[in-house]
Amino acid sequence: MQARRVGLVALLLGLLSAALLHGRLGAPPVYDGIVVPPAPYRYESPPPNLRNGNQLPLGGQAVLPAPNGTVAGGGVQTDDQQVITFWGLGTLKAPAGTSSVTCTIQPVANPPAPPAGVELRGNVYAINCVGQPANGKVTATTTFHLTMRIPPGTVNDIRYYDGQSWHNLTTLFAGGGDPYASVNAPGFGEYAAMARSGTATSSSPFSDLSRYLEFYGILALVLLFGIIAVAQEIRRRRQRRPSTVKKR
Amino acid sequence: MIQARLAAPRRAALLTSLVLGAAVVRALLLPIGDGFSTAVFAASLLAIAVIDGRALRPSPVAGEGATPAWRLAWSVLLGVVVGMLLIGPAITDRLADRPIGDFWSWAAIAAIVASLEETAIRGVLYRHWLAEAGPLAAVAIGAVVFSLIHLPRYGLTALPLDFAVGLALGGLRSVTSRVIPCAVAHTIADWGAWFWA
Repeated sequence: MQARRVGLVALLLGLLSAALLHGRLGAPPVYDGIVVPPAPYRYESPPPNLRNGNQLPLGGQAVLPAPNGTVAGGGVQTDDQQVITFWGLGTLKAPAGTSSVTCTIQPVANPPAPPAGVELRGNVYAINCVGQPANGKVTATTTFHLTMRIPPGTVNDIRYYDGQSWHNLTTLFAGGGDPYASVNAPGFGEYAAMARSGTATSSSPFSDLSRYLEFYGILALVLLFGIIAVAQEIRRRRQRRPSTVKKR
Repeated sequence: MIQARLAAPRRAALLTSLVLGAAVVRALLLPIGDGFSTAVFAASLLAIAVIDGRALRPSPVAGEGATPAWRLAWSVLLGVVVGMLLIGPAITDRLADRPIGDFWSWAAIAAIVASLEETAIRGVLYRHWLAEAGPLAAVAIGAVVFSLIHLPRYGLTALPLDFAVGLALGGLRSVTSRVIPCAVAHTIADWGAWFWA
């Protein structure tokens, strides 16, 4: 009875604490089975084989306070989290008289053509900030952080279009199969993932096969141990049965 | 009796170390691949449960005879309710647009790993700590172990939340005297990640 009383208190306390903590930590309660696969990449112009079920990419907007033209640190991300940027205090400079800065990230429907010998991979995003209330020009005095989701297939780097030409940037790819890459963005303009012409536009059969093997490998291993566990339990129960009869 | 009380904590502590060790091994193997490290972790937990051998049987409760089927059904239902309550705070978040067609295979593995964690923590560890140190210690140590095994993946910020969830699952174990409702609640909470993470 004491165990049940303790259990009831722990259950209620745990549920209440989990509910209160959830909003602060911004994560679902447990999810520790395996890594949750990311949602499919959202294409502005999907490849023919991915046209079915494709959802259009989303933009993002953030309004940041800018007392005396100095923008506080902050960031903006698209609502589908395909592009995330953030910058430190003083990175953005707005004209005098600006009270706030509106920063936007928008997928570009008609992007500038890529340089010769390379192809666009995924979407081109336009990143821009304007000062309010007079739509004043905001400039980036130093680089800011940009993380971009990359679509399946080969991607060599993320490039920046300054209004005249594309510039390749030193790109850091996330490890462990995470489909994200980051750069130090030099300014406002268009950004896109690119690859040399002729490289794969979708995941290779080999990587698909390795994922397939990994998945069924886990299942096979767990099933094997499960069968051993059940066999052990049956054997144990059989061994216990005669002693139970004797006691009676 | 004295001998049993002296012997038990060593076994409970040893099994607790084994479960924590399995989590450390999982963290060390993570660079090789998430699938491989998860498989090793799952196999280790299963091995601990098999070695102990008593994890899946309900705790003996004074004054109760054989467990009727309705009690099992009630406890599973309670597990479903607790699982729903655990994902409750997340359902106001924006829905992730993962395709439902891919959900089932992922959900099967998540269910297996969640059930194995419950078998090890709320099964093996709970039973041993209950016998030695009482229900409060069994629930509290289970919650600590539960939060610690998630530390490598989610970091310190998730520690209080995982401790709270561990407390709730330990409480569920005490209330129902069974591991199955804990596995059900844990699995439902994990599945929520597909839709809201």
